[in-house]
Amino acid sequence: MLLKDIPIQRKLMVIILATTVSALLLMRMVFFTYEFLTFRHTTMQQLSTVGEVIAANSTAALAFDNQGDATDILSALRTNKHIVAAALYNKTGELFAKYPDNVADILLPAAPGNAGYHYEHLALIGFQPVMQNGRNLGMLYLRLDTGVIMSEWFKNSILIAIVAIAVAILIAYLLSKTLQKQISQPILSLAETARDITGGRDFSIRAKKLGSDELGLLTEAFNQMLEEIQAQDHAIRIDIAKRRAAEAEVNKLNAELELRVANRTAELESANQELEAFSYSISHDLRAPLRAVDGYSQAVIEDYGGQLPEDGRRYLQTIRDGAQRMGMLIDDLLAFSRLSRQPVNKQEVDTGKLVRDVLEELRPQQEGRDLDLRVGDLPPCQGDAALLKQVWINLLSNALKYSRDRKPAIIEIGCNREKDGNVYFVRDNGAGFDMRYAHKLFGVFQRLHRAEEFEGTGVGLAIVQRIINRHGGRIWAEAEPGKGATFYFT
Amino acid sequence: MAVLTRDQPACRKKILHACLAVSLLLFSGGRDLVAQGSSKEYQVKAAFLYNFFQFVKWPPESFPQAQAPLVIGIIGEDPFGGSLEQIVRGEKVNNHPMVIQHYHQPSDIKVCHVLFVSQSENKRVKEVLAEMKSRNILTVSDIDGFVRDGGIIRFVTENNKIRFQINAEAARAAHLTISSKLLQAAERN
Repeated sequence: MLLKDIPIQRKLMVIILATTVSALLLMRMVFFTYEFLTFRHTTMQQLSTVGEVIAANSTAALAFDNQGDATDILSALRTNKHIVAAALYNKTGELFAKYPDNVADILLPAAPGNAGYHYEHLALIGFQPVMQNGRNLGMLYLRLDTGVIMSEWFKNSILIAIVAIAVAILIAYLLSKTLQKQISQPILSLAETARDITGGRDFSIRAKKLGSDELGLLTEAFNQMLEEIQAQDHAIRIDIAKRRAAEAEVNKLNAELELRVANRTAELESANQELEAFSYSISHDLRAPLRAVDGYSQAVIEDYGGQLPEDGRRYLQTIRDGAQRMGMLIDDLLAFSRLSRQPVNKQEVDTGKLVRDVLEELRPQQEGRDLDLRVGDLPPCQGDAALLKQVWINLLSNALKYSRDRKPAIIEIGCNREKDGNVYFVRDNGAGFDMRYAHKLFGVFQRLHRAEEFEGTGVGLAIVQRIINRHGGRIWAEAEPGKGATFYFT
Repeated sequence: MAVLTRDQPACRKKILHACLAVSLLLFSGGRDLVAQGSSKEYQVKAAFLYNFFQFVKWPPESFPQAQAPLVIGIIGEDPFGGSLEQIVRGEKVNNHPMVIQHYHQPSDIKVCHVLFVSQSENKRVKEVLAEMKSRNILTVSDIDGFVRDGGIIRFVTENNKIRFQINAEAARAAHLTISSKLLQAAERN
């Protein structure tokens, strides 16, 4: 488990124990090293003391060539079981006496070395000169087996270290168990308070301050923060209540407004329907007297044409023309007003096929003309097939009509793909119009050309606009007098 | 290579000559030592005698000055054949240079620290010792019964080895301090 994830009490204890143990280990290591060095030094000093004593005692034996005495003196080394070999060499460097009697030859150097003591592997080797009154009589050789002493010492040292560390860990554990509470207790109580507050959303709870150290300060700051939160919470609650009341007010007003709008809309709709019904019935009712005017004028011409002077017949004919023209106007007006009532039945429409059908229907207007029809790529669209067909009929027949004086007459049909959607267009090189009057183009009965030039009622483009608006689209035109016109719609 | 092979016999001959010369020199050198008349026994005794000085302390009044010489006297025939002179030459004992003197009569002995009584004096040992009594003189000899007669140190030959006996009482009478080490090394009598 990571240290950062364990509870704070355990964390503190782990930290205290780890610190104690590592400090103790370090101390132990330092002490161990010191002991080791001291031990080596002491051992060397002890051996050199022994060497000096033995050397002093063996002067006479060497001076008077008494090997028996020398052997006796060396045998005194028995008291130190770690001295495994010793020897005396005379002035000329020959082996004079040895200890113990059965010492292995490899433990004795063939000739004495330089005076002094040194460690060699697991042995302390010493060469002590034998002097009498400043005269050199020979050399004493001593060999101390440090291996056994060292391992004994090492064992003891390790044992002491283990016991000391174990005791220290126990004491540190017991101490830290009680002392860590000084730190963990306030933190835990703080954490508990925080948990209670988070759980119950009760900001009136306060943490208990257990001391005036940093944790005490923290507790104080925490409590202060709680006070502020409590105050803010209170303010927010009031604010929310106010806002809710305001919202309810707004909602009420909205509902009233909506009701009023619905009422108005209903009123408007009924007014509109009445108006449309009125204009329809008027148009319809106007046709009957008109048929009587036209019909009886025709009957007079046919039955009594011979009895009437030339002028009379002409006047009658003019009456007829006027009546017929008025009939057409009424028809168009009826068609236009029907558009408002007819629902838009949207479905996938193959525009290319639609345009081809329309052109086929308009075949009579194209016969005998020098005509250049350019039909571009026309993507399908969503709409009412019957209404859209009316749009194309009107636009294309207009294009054919206003370009009939041109040789050749060029009519272009296409579609621009723009980011807002497809923009269909019909372009001709016919009469065109002045852009200053463009705003009048789509008005009912509005005409930009004289009836003598181009026949028509001035309802066609108004119908087109109405259909396109009902589809949620837009129509506009660009033109120049004499250079033709382009109608765009979406 | 060819040249070396041709010269080889001559080379060997030269080495042979050199070896012969060296062995002759060694042999003649050894013979010279024998010719001086110092037997192996007395060479050892001379060395021992010199070694005694290291373990014996004379009373300060026996040296008039700090640099005064330590006088080694030999009464009778000198059996050391110059080996004692060889050992002593240039050496000092406690800052005292050593001087060897030969005596014929006990009455000749004036200033003396060590007296070696030669075998030739066998007959008048007691006379000599009587003369030396209560003087600070270390008496040494290899005459039988020397220690019993009041001499201080006597050389004994045992199993072809030189040993010595010490008369500690006589030494004390002569006001000489003998190191316990020397006493230990001495043969117990």
